[in-house]
Formats: sequence, structure tokens, C-alpha cells
Amino acid sequence: MENNNPLSPHIQIYSWNISSLISISHRITGVINIIALTVVCLWIASLLLGESNYEYIKFFLQSIFGKFVILSLVWSFTFQILSEIRHLFWDFGYGFELKTSKISGLLVILGSFIFTTLIYLFNRQIL
Amino acid sequence: MINATKKWIFIKASSLVFLPLMTWFIISLVSIYDKEYVDVISFFSTQPAKFLTSLLMVVAFFYSSLSISEIFEDYIHHEKTKNVATKTLYVIAIIIPLITIIIIFNLTI
Repeated sequence: MENNNPLSPHIQIYSWNISSLISISHRITGVINIIALTVVCLWIASLLLGESNYEYIKFFLQSIFGKFVILSLVWSFTFQILSEIRHLFWDFGYGFELKTSKISGLLVILGSFIFTTLIYLFNRQIL
Repeated sequence: MINATKKWIFIKASSLVFLPLMTWFIISLVSIYDKEYVDVISFFSTQPAKFLTSLLMVVAFFYSSLSISEIFEDYIHHEKTKNVATKTLYVIAIIIPLITIIIIFNLTI
């Protein structure tokens, strides 16, 4: 059967604001996160290769680049969590007012960086 | 109930389970990612990590595949390409968690 649903216009035609920034970031982080979870699955699978082979993975994860990758993933997951909580509030009918929407959008952005920093520092026992 | 409504309910229900599981996992991931082989394998071999990681993989891939299929719906214009992309995504979302769960339940120190 022919699907006559209208397609979304390309994102470039919209002027940027906090809501559109969060919306597109929510989608991008969603795609990044499923790829990241696939990599996590490969990481778990790599444990089957034995201790000597795992040394290469450990070497990567202990490097500066490895730590950067993990920190980036934590941010991406945290952003997705906070943004999804914002969506859930909308689903229950709260936070649709323009001002509230802008504030909650800013909270998602700021919160993602704050929680990423706190999670990393607490777990590395730096705080 | 129309399919779009069912899909929306599935996305929202899975997100409610996904959020606490993902929070637990990122905290755990930061704690163990650069640890020794024995420490990492001990983490995934013991309960509740074994159960929670397995549940996370099922829910996360279920939730993500439904969410990404919405992106396909919005941006892929060609109907056949969209159907193939969506079906491929659903197959991947079943296979990867299934293999991971089998691996997790076969990990031994």
C-alpha cells in the first residue's frame, strides 16, 4: 500500500533554538548510543578471548584516548537519559510552555555535563 | 488500537525500564572499564550484574530500534529502502542482545 505520510522537511530550513538543538541532539545521541552499546557487547565478547588478548583492550582503555572515548560515551548516555526524562514529562502533559521548555532544555544540556563529570569523578574516587 | 499508538506505547514503556538500567550501567562502566581482566570478568560473572546487563541489552536495543525506526520514517523517502533499513535494524536488535546474553552466561573466571 502507498504510504502518503508527509516527510519531515530537512533540518537545515529551521532556525536554531534550544528546542531544535535538543531535539536533533536527542536523535544523534540515540544513534550513537546504539552503536556504543554494540561496542560494549563486543567488549564483553572480547573477554572470551582470554587474559593475554584482553591486554590490548586494557591498554587502549587505559590510554588518554580510551578515557576520552569512555567519558564521551558517558556524556552521550547521560544526555539521552535526561532528554528522555524531559520527553516523559511532556507525555504526561507537563512542561509545554515556551519558557518551561527552554529552561528544561538548558537543564538537559547543563545537567548532562554536570552528571558526566560527577559520575566520572566519584567513580574514579577523585571526589 | 492503531500500530502507531502501539509503537508509541512500546517506546515509552521501554524507556521507563531503560532509564534506571542505563543509569546503573554508566556508573558501573566508569568503575570497571580500565580494570584488570579478572576484575572485569568477575563483574559480569556475578549477580546482579549478569541479570541487569542482559536486561539492559534487551531493553536498550528494543527501545533504540523503535526510536531509530522513527528517524527512518521521517527522513528516508524511498519506501522500499525504508522497509529494508527498518527490518535490518529489527533483526540486528534481536541478534546482538541474544549473542551478548549467551556470552554473559558463559563467562567464567
